[in-house]
Parts: sequence; structure tokens; C-alpha cells
Amino acid sequence: MGKDTDTGELIQGTLEMLILKALMRGPLHGYAVAEWIQETSQQVLKVEEGALYPALHRLELRGLLSAKWGASENNRRAKFYQLTAEGRKRLDAESQRWARLSAAVAFVMQAP
Amino acid sequence: MAPALHAFLLRLKAMFAKRRLDRDMAEELEFHQVLLREKLLRQGVPLAEVDAATSRTFGNSARWHERLRELWQFPALEHLLRDTAFSLRMLRKSPGFTSVAVLTLGLGVGANMAIFSLINGLLLRPLPVPHSEELVVLRMEEGGAEPEYSFCTPFFRGLETESEVFANVFAYNGDTLLVRDGSGNEQVNGMLVSGQFFQALQTPPLLGRYLTTEDDRRGGNPMGLAVVISEHYWERRFNRDPGVVGKKLVIANTPFTVVGVMPKRFIGADPTQRPEIFAPLSADPIIDAPRNHIDAGTHAWWLTVVARLKPGVTLIQANAALEKVSGAVLHQTDDPAYMTGEERAHFHFAAESGSQGYAYARTLFRKPLLAMFSMCGGILLLACLNLASLSMARGGARERELATRLAMGASRSRLIHQLLVESLLIALAGTAAGLAAAPLVSRSLAAMLMSGSALNTGVYLDTNLDLRAFGFAALIAVAATILIGLLPALQATTGNLSDQIKEGQYASLAHQRQRILPRLLLASEVGLALVLVIGAGLLSTSLVRLFKSGAGFDPKGLVNIAFSMDKQDLQGDALMRLYQEIGEGLSHQPGVENVSFEFIVPLSHRGWNGGYQAPGHSSQLIYMNSVGPGYFATMRIPLQYGREFRWSDTNAAGLKIILNESAAQLLFPGQNALGGQVVYSRVKTSYEVVGVVGNSKYRDMRTLAPPIGYVPIMQDTQPKPSLTAVVRVDGPQTPLAGAARALAARLAPTIPPPVFTTVNEVLDRAMSAERLMALLSIYFAACALLVTGIGLYGTLAYATARRTSEIGIRMALGADRARVMGMVFRQNAAIAFTGAVAGLIAALLATRALSSFLYGTSTRDPLVLAASVLALGAVASAASLLPALRAARIEPMAAIRCE
Repeated sequence: MGKDTDTGELIQGTLEMLILKALMRGPLHGYAVAEWIQETSQQVLKVEEGALYPALHRLELRGLLSAKWGASENNRRAKFYQLTAEGRKRLDAESQRWARLSAAVAFVMQAP
Repeated sequence: MAPALHAFLLRLKAMFAKRRLDRDMAEELEFHQVLLREKLLRQGVPLAEVDAATSRTFGNSARWHERLRELWQFPALEHLLRDTAFSLRMLRKSPGFTSVAVLTLGLGVGANMAIFSLINGLLLRPLPVPHSEELVVLRMEEGGAEPEYSFCTPFFRGLETESEVFANVFAYNGDTLLVRDGSGNEQVNGMLVSGQFFQALQTPPLLGRYLTTEDDRRGGNPMGLAVVISEHYWERRFNRDPGVVGKKLVIANTPFTVVGVMPKRFIGADPTQRPEIFAPLSADPIIDAPRNHIDAGTHAWWLTVVARLKPGVTLIQANAALEKVSGAVLHQTDDPAYMTGEERAHFHFAAESGSQGYAYARTLFRKPLLAMFSMCGGILLLACLNLASLSMARGGARERELATRLAMGASRSRLIHQLLVESLLIALAGTAAGLAAAPLVSRSLAAMLMSGSALNTGVYLDTNLDLRAFGFAALIAVAATILIGLLPALQATTGNLSDQIKEGQYASLAHQRQRILPRLLLASEVGLALVLVIGAGLLSTSLVRLFKSGAGFDPKGLVNIAFSMDKQDLQGDALMRLYQEIGEGLSHQPGVENVSFEFIVPLSHRGWNGGYQAPGHSSQLIYMNSVGPGYFATMRIPLQYGREFRWSDTNAAGLKIILNESAAQLLFPGQNALGGQVVYSRVKTSYEVVGVVGNSKYRDMRTLAPPIGYVPIMQDTQPKPSLTAVVRVDGPQTPLAGAARALAARLAPTIPPPVFTTVNEVLDRAMSAERLMALLSIYFAACALLVTGIGLYGTLAYATARRTSEIGIRMALGADRARVMGMVFRQNAAIAFTGAVAGLIAALLATRALSSFLYGTSTRDPLVLAASVLALGAVASAASLLPALRAARIEPMAAIRCE
């Protein structure tokens, strides 16, 4: 209860943005989302399952993602997530915000 | 779509597909684990360790599943369900507390709902007609304290055409119609209505048409006399025959044509009447023959007048318009003699809101009902206070449980939430119990109220629970929940956690005993109970005194048989001979000792009076009755001087009068009235006083015996008086009813069957309102004492149980049992004493409202006050003694060891 609440809060917003980004190129199931983030971040960002699925479901509830059951690459039934129009819009907004924020942090950190 | 709405809809969908959603979540998580496992295998983790490694990486799958599940639920609803389940478990664990709580609350709610549905039916419910808010009831102001609601025909006809502010003006009078039914006649509740009655009430007929101004003419419309019947009568008499329109009904021996049927929901403008036949007002001389309220002009005040305002017209405008026409209408009336100059100067018509129609019963029962309602409110408040203090005491006992729950991470608001759910459950159960009992109680209350003989038969009170009643019940439940739950919940969840968990059996509980709130609650409970007990004491003492005061005659074995002579042909002396024959016939029945006749039945709230004077003295108001020979012997009213009437006292023998003592003293102060002359001030006729009799009550039991003058029935000015036979019977009375009916059928076949009542019934009815109030207040007081006793006992028992070890230590240190008992007992004694003092003061203020209901009893009657305090003291002592005794029986060793 206590442990993952204060760090989770911080990660949650970012994690949601990363999930939206992962789904930008097409529908993926939860495992693939986690893998993509881990690989693309060159193994730096490791997505915990305990945070991943609640985040996916929250995004689905809010209408940013839609979910569909389909067959996976190894022919098992899997739940695929897909960006909705709303989700796409959100991703754009989040990307811009992130770019501004990271640039700002970079300015500060690079100050002599 | 807004995210919140999207989430709401998905969650709503999830509620109905819970199992599928659950399966999907499990499958999704499992799929992830499978892929993870494959990946680990690919990375070269040995087969033996791959399962452990998977679960280490993945974490607790059941927990993730639970978190997903929570996401898809409504958090508030889920909490509520969980709290409800938990509360139910907690309540089931303490069945004693729960059943006391539900029962006391049910009692309070039931009483309140019962009285409320009476108040609702009589005072609050609007008439079931369109735009009832436009209706106004008209009244007359004469400068006196009480406005007058009964109009005479000329006044009504003068107002009927008033169209400046009114869309319609109509009048009606509830009446009993004599309708031919096969060979005989039956009496049917009916209503005489003026021309605009139906038009104003805007309810379309079920069949045919309703009555219009065309019908409200002498002789009816050009086609003849018309009536409209109710759906109920259509069903009962005509078996719902669709061809009923056009059929004839013979009313008062005259054919009327049925022109329409009104639907069930239509009840006219008096919520306490259910007329079956509506007849035109102008048919009164036929229907009420030989009486004629129309030609009687300003001598018959028989109409209730209601109007419908034009849309947009306010009550103020209507009153202004009425004020303007009052003089003119008064001027038009042919007989100005009935009003004094002063009354005339103040006289004006006025209108008041009439959306609930007009009911005479209201003027009688408004005050008693409101008084009873406040008693009920007191009981309900008492029940809530009691539960609050009980659950506070219980909350004290539950402190450890609550503290543990707080310590384990429950937030205070969640805990209060759960405790409130607990009290909500109690409140709901109590309200449900009360609601279930209410219809029965209110129906019997209504029957008791309405049997008061001040009203005609056929008065009906609708006590059905409607939306308003249920709204009221909901209000009670919510208020009760908050009263019961919030205070104890707040109290129980404050305080230092670790202290409360540590303190096993609470060896030191100083902080607990010093708490002021629970004691305040209990003290106010005691005070409230005392107020109710004193109220009950006053009302029942007054009833006893009223009963003991006597009526002035002996009601035991006395029977009334009412004959209705309106619709037969005999009159004057011939009719008197018929009465004489009836009297003789009755006197030969077994057990009959005396028979006589009277016009006004004493204590029936009916009356007749006039100004009478001794020559040379001023006119006095004397109540009158006309009675037959042997009347005073039959009634056992003592004959002090002179003689009774004889059958020979006819008009030819000269007018005679018998006075009661107070009339004799009033008219002939300090003289012998016997042989004197009494003059009827209005027409200057002179009567010879032939007797003086004892005083007796006249209109009702409460009023002291007024001055009464008796005239012989043989000299009655009415052509066809309908008299009541009074029969003194020794032995069973019921056979007389059949004998009277047979006698009437033989001697006067055209009259309806005579109505049989015992005078004891009349007496009961005359005191019905008083008796009802006294009974109810005693019942409420008993409940109050019981509830207070339970409260005092319960809280002390809880408190003492928790002090077991403390008491054990005290005893081990040498306190003897008597001392321990005293210590426990004192705790409640202080509360009871404070409460009683406060209650006494409150009662002295509150019972003033009762003074108008009391007979010969002061609201500060020392006997009643002392007895009430004593009763309360006894209950409080008994309730406190038990826990004290239990405390005294504590074994010190066992008590200390159990720590």
C-alpha cells in the first residue's frame, strides 16, 4: 500500500505517456508494450507489470485506448491495445509537454 | 466523450459482466507470464528454476488482478457494499442491541407515521382535481374571534355571479338521501351541489355529462330533475351498466334522471366525504322535505362555499373584491333581523386557500392531531437519543476494535462512513418496521377519531400512505441515522490510538467517565420522558375528572331509538298520537321500565337556543329541548318542583315550559320559578313554568351544564318533528332494536328503520377525542419510560462491564459491596436527577399547550407532577439497580486475573 504510492504517482504520468507512444505505430498487447519500452530505452526503463496493467486499464477506462482480443504471434488469445483518436491527441500534447520540460531541465542542469 | 463519463459507462457495463471481465483479466495476466517464461527460457534460465524466476519477475499476480478489478468498480458503491456487509455482521454479533434499536425506532416511526398520515389525509393532501391551487374557500367575518364557514342560500346566490376575480363560485352540502331500492328505501350518502360545482372542479365525467347551472333550477332542467352518481354507486347499484345514463332513481319519492357517472378519483370538495349521488342544490325542498333550506333564507346556514380564482388572480385581489361586494350582498338579503348592528358593521366575506378543500373535521381535529404529533415527535426523538447514548456506550466498548482498524490504515472518514452505515441499517430497519405498522394504526386511529359524534356518519378519512408520507418517512430515517450515528462515530474515532490498544481491560478509565456528552444525552432523554409522562398524567387525570363529573342523567341501561318522520304524511297532533302509540308499544317490551321522547339528544353536539326572559327582566340565552311525558323519570334527572309533561299538554292547554335549576336561577334570581311566566324574546310568546329539574350537560361533556328550558313535544312548532325515543331498560338491550324496527314497520310503514344506540355509546363518543388523546399519551408515556429505562440500564451496564477490573481492585483494596453498589448507582442517579429537574421545567412550559384540552385540571397539578416524577424515579432506579447489583457481585480475584 504505502510503498508504491509516492514513486508511482511520478511514474504514472510518464508511464502513460510511454504507453501511448508505444502504441503509436499500431496495436500491441501488454507484454509487447513493456518489451518495446525496455528495448527502445536501451534497457534503462524497466516497466513493472504491477504498474503496466493498471496503467493500461486506466487509459482504456478513460477512452484513450481501445482494447480488442486477437491472436498473438504464437497463436494465443491476447488483449491488444490501440490508440483512439482521443489517445492520439493526448500523445501529441504529452510529447510537446515532455519536450518543453526536458529541455528546461537540460538548461538548468547544464548551467555552469 | 468526457473521460469521466466514458469511465462511468464502462464501469456500468462491467457491473453486469463481472465474471467475463474477471476471466479476461486473468487471461491477460497469464498471457504475459507465459511470454515472460518463454523469454527467460530463451535467455538460458534452467527449466527447474524458470517458474520461480517468472513469479519473481512478475510479482504477485493475484494482487495485480485485484488492483485491476478495483479499477473497474465504482469505488463509492464498492465501499458501501463492503460496509453494509460488515455492518450487518457487526449487528448480528450483538442481537440484543440491534433488536432494542430496531424496536424502539420502529415504535417511534410507527407512531409518527400513523399520526402523520392522519394529518396528511385531513390537513395536507390537495384535492384530486386539476389546478387545485386555484381553489379558495369563502368565509364570513363578523368581527368575532371565529370566522363562520356556513353560508345561507341568499348570501351564496349573491356571490355566485361574482366574476371579477372568480372563474367559478359553487356551494355544496353533504346530505343523506333516501333512495328507493326495490320495495323499501335505503339511505345513501349524497351531496347537494350548485350549478358551477362540476365546472369548477374540472373533472370530466366517466359517462354522460355532469350537472350544470341548467340543472340547478327549481324543478330541474327542461327535461326534469337530474343527478350524477359516483363510480362506486354505479358499480354497487347498477353493476356498471353502460346504459345507466337516462335511468331513473327515486329519491325522496321523486324520480330523478341519472345523467352521468363521476370517476372514482372524484370526491368533490370535502376530502372527508365520499358522496355517492350528486343532486342539484335547488332540489333541496324535494330531497330534504319537509325542511326547506332554500326558502328558509337567512335561517338556514347550511352551505360550504368554494370558488376557483381566475388564472393569475391572487388571494389578496380576491379578498379585496369580496370586501367590495360584501355590503351589497348583505343588503340584498330580505331578512336583516338576525344580525346585531355591530356584527353588521364588521361583516365581510373573505377567501382563504382551498387547495385541500374544506372539511369541518379539520376545525375539530387540527389541535388534537398536532398535539399528538408533537408527542410522537417526542417519542421519536427519545428513541434516537436513546440509541445514540447506547451506541456511544457500545462505541466505548468497541474502542479497541476501532483503534485497531485505524492503526491498520483505515482512514477516519472510512471508519465514520462504516459506523454511519451501521446506524443507517438500524434506521432503515426501524423505519420499515414503523411503516409496516403505520397503516393499521392510523386506520384504527382514524376510526376512533371519526366516531366522535360531532360528525355525521359517512365521514371518511383517507389515511393511505402517499408520496408525501413516504417522503416524511425518508426524512425520519435520515434524521434518525444522523442522530444515532454521527455523534457516537465522531466520539469513538477520536482519541489516542496506542493508549486504546494497550489498555487491555481498562484498569484506569478516568477519561471515559468524565465525558460529558453521553451523560448530557441521557439526561435529556430522562427530561424528555418526564415531559411525556407529565403530559399523559394531565390528560388522563382530566379524562377521569371529566368522566366523574357526570352528565346529570344516568346513562346506564338507557337506550336511544331515533325515528325519522320527514317522509311520511302524518303531522301535528296525529303524529303525536303515533309517537304515543310507539311509546306504549316500546313500554310493553321485556325489561323496559320507562319510555319517553326527546328532540335534541344530549351530548350529541347538536343544539338549539334562543333568548328568553321573565317579564320585566332582560333576555337570557337559554338552551332548549322538546321532550315527551315522563322524560325526567326516564333520564333520572331529579324533578325538584312541579310536575312532568303529560300527553294532554297540547297547544290547546296553553304553552308550558320546564326549566333546569340554572335556568330557573338565571331567569328568576332569588325567586320561586314555579308558576312563573317565561317569554320567548323574539316572538313574545309566553310559557308557564310547570316544573324545575336538576342540571344536566347539553352539547358535550366538557361544557358545564347550561341553563336549559324544556318544552313539550306536543307543542313543537315543527310540523313533523323527528324524535328520539329514550328507553330505560333493565337487562339486555339488543332485543329492543329488533322490537323497535318491527314496531315502526307496523305503525309507520313508510319511515326508514329507526336507528338504535345506547346512551353509553353516545357518552363514549362524546368523550372520544379526550379518551383517544389520553390513551395515546399513556401509551407514549409508557413507551418513553420503557425506552428511557433501557437506555439507562444499557449504558450503565456497558460502562460497568468495562470497569470490572477497576472494581475488582477497589474490592481487593477493601471497598465493601454496598459501597461499590452505591458508586455504580450514583452514576445514573446524578443523570436521572439532572434530567428530571430539566424535564420538570420543560414540562411546565410545554404543557401550557395542553391546557385547552384539559377538564378541571391545572397544567401544574401538583399530584400529577409528583406522581410523574415518582414513576420516572422508580423506572430509573430499577434500571440502575441491576448493573449496580451485578457490580457488587464481582469476585475481586477473578476480575483482576482476567486482565
